[in-house]
Amino acid sequence: MARPTRPASHRRRFLIGLALAALLGAGLGASLLAGSLTAERRERAEREAVVTLSALAAVIDRASGGGTEEAAPESGFGLGEELEALDQGEAEAPAGDEGEAVRRAVERFAAGHPEVTAIRVVKFDGRKLEASTAPEDKGDKAAPRTLALAEKPVYDLGQKLRAAVEGNREGAEGAARAPEIAIERRPGGVLVLAAPVERGGEVIGMVQMEIRAGREPSAFAWLPFLAAWIAPVAALLLLSLALGERRWLLAAAAALVLVIDLWAYGRYALRVLEDERRKSTQAVAARIAEESKKAETLLAELGLDAGKPLQPTLWDVDAFRQSRGLITATGAVDEGRLGELVGADAGRMSRSVAALAVLCLALLAFVGLGWAGRTGSALREHRAAYFYALPALLAMLVLVFFPFFYGFVLSFTNANIYNTDKPVYDIWVGLQNYVDILTDFRVTRQTPEGLVWNYQNFYYTLMFTIVWTVSNVAIGVTLGLALALILNLQGFALRPVYRVLLILPWAVPNYITSLIFKGMFHRQFGVINQIIALFGGAPIAWFERPFTSFLAVLTTNSWLSFPFMMVISLGALQSIPSDLYEAARVDGASRWQQFRAITLPSLRPALVPAVILSVIWTFNQFNVIYLVSAGQPGGATEILITHSYKLAFEQYRYGYAAAYSTIIFLILFAYGTWQNRVTRATEAIA
Amino acid sequence: VSFRRKARRGDEPVHWPLHLFVLFIVLVTVYPLLWVVSIAFSGGQSLAIADVPPDATAWDRVRAVIPWPEHLSAENFRSLFADQPFTRWLFNSVVIAGATTVLGVFLACTAAYAFSRFRFPARRAGLMAFLVAQMFPGTLMLIPLYIIIVQWLNLGSTATGLVLVYTVTAIPFCVWMMKGYFDTIPKELEESALIDGASQATIFFRIVLPLAKPAVAVTALFSFMTGWNEFIQAATFMNREDMYTGPVGLRFFVAGFSQQWGYFAAGSIVAAIPVMLLFLFLQKYLVSGLTAGAVKG
Repeated sequence: MARPTRPASHRRRFLIGLALAALLGAGLGASLLAGSLTAERRERAEREAVVTLSALAAVIDRASGGGTEEAAPESGFGLGEELEALDQGEAEAPAGDEGEAVRRAVERFAAGHPEVTAIRVVKFDGRKLEASTAPEDKGDKAAPRTLALAEKPVYDLGQKLRAAVEGNREGAEGAARAPEIAIERRPGGVLVLAAPVERGGEVIGMVQMEIRAGREPSAFAWLPFLAAWIAPVAALLLLSLALGERRWLLAAAAALVLVIDLWAYGRYALRVLEDERRKSTQAVAARIAEESKKAETLLAELGLDAGKPLQPTLWDVDAFRQSRGLITATGAVDEGRLGELVGADAGRMSRSVAALAVLCLALLAFVGLGWAGRTGSALREHRAAYFYALPALLAMLVLVFFPFFYGFVLSFTNANIYNTDKPVYDIWVGLQNYVDILTDFRVTRQTPEGLVWNYQNFYYTLMFTIVWTVSNVAIGVTLGLALALILNLQGFALRPVYRVLLILPWAVPNYITSLIFKGMFHRQFGVINQIIALFGGAPIAWFERPFTSFLAVLTTNSWLSFPFMMVISLGALQSIPSDLYEAARVDGASRWQQFRAITLPSLRPALVPAVILSVIWTFNQFNVIYLVSAGQPGGATEILITHSYKLAFEQYRYGYAAAYSTIIFLILFAYGTWQNRVTRATEAIA
Repeated sequence: VSFRRKARRGDEPVHWPLHLFVLFIVLVTVYPLLWVVSIAFSGGQSLAIADVPPDATAWDRVRAVIPWPEHLSAENFRSLFADQPFTRWLFNSVVIAGATTVLGVFLACTAAYAFSRFRFPARRAGLMAFLVAQMFPGTLMLIPLYIIIVQWLNLGSTATGLVLVYTVTAIPFCVWMMKGYFDTIPKELEESALIDGASQATIFFRIVLPLAKPAVAVTALFSFMTGWNEFIQAATFMNREDMYTGPVGLRFFVAGFSQQWGYFAAGSIVAAIPVMLLFLFLQKYLVSGLTAGAVKG
């Protein structure tokens, strides 16, 4: 391709390149900083709201006399005792005193907090709304009453929190923790918080609170952004006066200026973020002081004995109801703990800046070294071609190559269903997933019955996948070739009829085939066991033993895959010129010799790609395994691809499953490369 | 002995043992299909063609394996459309597969035209990209695609999400297929049109595409079948029952504790017959397209 040979000004190119790179760096950096600040302010609002929620819970606890109970942790919302007491009281009298006390406390609490717009207390037993200050719950809808059908989402939310608390308590290994406090952000700056109500370790209800939080103004700082953009360009401009048109010196200067600029911006951003964090914790500490004073006043007004003292310093909790530990027992900011957080911020920040620097340097090099100009002129020169090709290429880029890359990145994280919105470096685990998968050689395990296969092991599944692929392809090729040879015989009667009937399995969508065979292999009603019974055999529980389960999936896949081989072979056989055979016959060659010398070599160009293709198809034959045996028994008939699916969508271990998928891809890739080389070699010989 | 002598004399094997073998294979091939038909027309939901009493006679046992329903009834078909949400699922499938076809064919035609007619930088890389993409099994991409489509773009249980996924699945094959066909259209036609003053777009839409009609039709039918027959991605992305596609719905009938085999069989016939006919009509093209792609890969 001809390159334009106009005299290029390195100085101009580097200046433009730096201007673009600095714009990218400063723009992205400022946006990221603004995002972090907004997130921090949101979190501050949420933390403050959680403090209020904790105070509310403590007040309700005292209102029911729960405060005198021992071992009811502050963050546990010991409100449950009161609810149960109320329940028992109701059996005797229409309204228990404690229930009334709770309702009064809730009302007074709401009155003392103008920003709290609604409080609801829900009890699961009887689907009851125990107390409510929501404006719509007035008159005949006033608490206590049964929840209406339209309020099912509230009840469901409570049940979800209960499931979260119980799940976290059991703490299944490797399982992700679920949040125990639900925080929903409604338009207009309203936060809706919900927390479980426990009694004796059992979640029996939920308290929900709506609170107005202030709206955060946009945090994008224009001045630092402009400074970070303009300053390096100005600096390079001055430097370039001294450096002239010396290309590599200019490149080094531009890169240096850019790196210094980004580093300085990173320092600045870190300081801003640190200030914001400190402000947050101070605000939360202030809120705690305020709320504890209010709560004490309220308790005194209601004439309630506090019983055990309030523990307001434990009111700053995260979504898992664990104390953040940022407030000391005296209500001051814990500097050490805050320092740790800021240190973690600094680590993240330097990683972000490094990533940003790589990106910007790439852009700088792209423009400054003249690649951008060349790409631009190529785009202009061939714009018609790119105009036609780009839509499809872009679609592939966005929905195939980017997801592939993202999956690759995920494979280095411990991503799961709850943390995919977190930045990748927060969940980064390096090569851990690969190490876990590839260095686990426990292919067998010891049980009381003796040594058995460990079906969850990668190498077992790999071995099974290979056995599965080889047996399927062997059966497919043998059967397909045999049928093709027969159907290709001169004057074989009914040939077109046979051909259409034998091709049918290929035409049936394979998920339907799989479900049909699943039905036919049914132990009790399946027709295959009926046929066995017809010949006097005992019915077989196909999916309860690995070998019979394997036979079932093998039968299914053979049934649907042999027609492909047959059609390919038939096509190739028909293209062999018949005079070759005549010549061989004249020379006195036997049929076997003709087959060896003429038929097989002529089949090879068609059969080799067909075999390659069918190996890849069978290796990835998801539907048959997933729908027929589903890996039964106990994962014994799982192939790699179905196993990876189950890791992702039944155990929600996205990161681990992504690593598994990457390994599968590498196996396929290695196979493809090797096969390609072999094919080339055979073509060269043939 | 006679077999051998005969064979040597005519140099052709005797046909009848081969007929027996082929007939046996045909029986095994056709049996599952007849089985589905008999379950579908049985009017019940049972998996068994006929009940086998505990003290079964030989005839009872034989009856249970003959693929013909005891009582012929179209009740399953009526109920499938009247009482079950199957119509809705089929409608979803039609919409999704239809949109996939339109989008996929359009993108594939333009890209294939560029690859066939123009020589430009990154042409080879682009073609290789389509080939490599065809090698990726869709299931391997499910995790990132699920996160992107469902969690980031919030397109779970929508037709749009699935159409996007299916389109990029269909594109690579369609591009190779269309490129092969465009290569066979003589360039002189376009050159003379260019001399007559036709624009690039006019040439593409008024000359090349009409000439490539057969290939466009075949490509369109393959795109349609991609969307129509796909199961696992639909099962992963569609969580709401009213957004199920045909395949997910059919599986719903017989998954878990649900054992509605009658509905499944009837639904399978409805869903499979059109694509089976299409397939039998198209398989010639499919074979050549697949093997051509594989050889080059």
